[in-house]
Amino acid sequence: FFRLLPSCSFLHKSSIHTSHSLETKSWERKNRIVYPPQLPGDPPRQAEIYHCRRQIKYSKDKMWYLAKLIRGMTIDQAIAQLEFNNKKGAKIIKEVLLEAQDIAVRNHNVEYKSNLYIAESFSGKGQYLKRIRYHGRGMFGIMDKVYCHYFVKLVEGVPPKEIQKTAFDQAKEYVQSLRDRTIIHSL
Amino acid sequence: MAVSLSQVMGPGWCSLVGRLTSDLQCARTLLNPKKMLTPQSLIPVRTKKRHFIPPSVSAKHKSFSEQESMAKAAGVVVRQQYLERAINITCTAGILDPYVPPEGDSRLSSLSKDGLKQRAEQFKQSAASQLALRKVKEHDKEFSTKDFPAKAQEIFIQAHHNLTNFNKENLHTLVTERCYPEMVRGNRFKTLRWQFLESLEPPRVVHVRCPEMINKGNVYGQITVRMHSKQTLAIYDRFGRLMYGSEDLPKDVLEYVVFERHLVSPYSRWRMHGKIVPAWAPPKDPIIKTIMIPGPVMKPWEEFEEMNLSKAKPQQVQWNK
Repeated sequence: FFRLLPSCSFLHKSSIHTSHSLETKSWERKNRIVYPPQLPGDPPRQAEIYHCRRQIKYSKDKMWYLAKLIRGMTIDQAIAQLEFNNKKGAKIIKEVLLEAQDIAVRNHNVEYKSNLYIAESFSGKGQYLKRIRYHGRGMFGIMDKVYCHYFVKLVEGVPPKEIQKTAFDQAKEYVQSLRDRTIIHSL
Repeated sequence: MAVSLSQVMGPGWCSLVGRLTSDLQCARTLLNPKKMLTPQSLIPVRTKKRHFIPPSVSAKHKSFSEQESMAKAAGVVVRQQYLERAINITCTAGILDPYVPPEGDSRLSSLSKDGLKQRAEQFKQSAASQLALRKVKEHDKEFSTKDFPAKAQEIFIQAHHNLTNFNKENLHTLVTERCYPEMVRGNRFKTLRWQFLESLEPPRVVHVRCPEMINKGNVYGQITVRMHSKQTLAIYDRFGRLMYGSEDLPKDVLEYVVFERHLVSPYSRWRMHGKIVPAWAPPKDPIIKTIMIPGPVMKPWEEFEEMNLSKAKPQQVQWNK
């Protein structure tokens, strides 16, 4: 049985036949860790679902803007924002989020599909194809046909609120750090 | 040393050259010393075996049938390819002629003498079971209906313990190939906790059948054992949250478990093959989480309250697990 224990990663031979390169990618493997049963007194562990899409025909830098947009939002809010965004990557990310939501409900025992928020979302460079771009005077440049990967981690529950740090708080911290200084080897 | 060719070869050579001086090309070939020296009786023949004959340049354009005929003409023999694969069938696909448990089986406790007698009589009366039992005893001389149920219960308990530990190898020896996916499906990333507390009634052999697969003599034996016991089951999901059941609350379970053995093979063992769920069985506990069942597809002018939807009741039918 192919399952990882959270503390040590001891791999068994997989019982389902998939291509080696797809199942051994680290983001997909994160869905296989099994936690031991919780004691009745413990607070319930939040379900984490990792999903990704590989080799999307889009630039990773352009994708970053969309990934940054939806970080920390609830899944419904994120899907709504992406639906009315005019970029090409928005449609793709929306598909990925809907897929991840479906997988969460079916396989990972998530009770309410709206009770998910986006904990991590980022883009990575995919494998590029190289082509020749012809310039004048017999000069050429190597044109990269750009591909990217998109990764997302959904966590069950209410999204954590970011504490907004005001200028006054920063000033207070600075003054406190000055007060905490100790002078060594003094009289 | 400036010695002329005529002095070396002799006077006859000069006359030969003299005859053919008109044809220059001929003269040149004849003047070649190699050809002059080799006698005509020795003709070179190529006998060295070629291990690799490269494919001809025009082979790509020929169709497969043409290539085949060329190969045959050349003498290349292609051995007949047998597109076969041997399959070992070690278990049947299902439960043949399943046992129909009587209605009041769970209510009438066999602590009362009447219940026990009734059941013992029922088993002896079933003629087909007796015939099948005789067939089983033919192949396995040490078989008896008295000590088999105890062994069967042991196999049952061991199989479930191996399922909780995910010990695939032991599980395959205790459970048939038909039962294995049913037990294991969906449990890959879950934690199971199962305990067999005690057996409320001694297990009994209730039904015996000997179906045959494909050939006439290929006999498999299927024995149904009735078990009434106390068990606890708790299923935890990937994150350690309780999905079903509870570890502390024991439940009384009445089961009809089918065991199977490939009687003809001497290396076969009695293994768990499946369970029979009777039609009058009480419904199971629901799982802890809530599930959304998608409603009907409605047009914009329809309203949900006005639609008369009837809840589909599950059919109470006996089925084999």
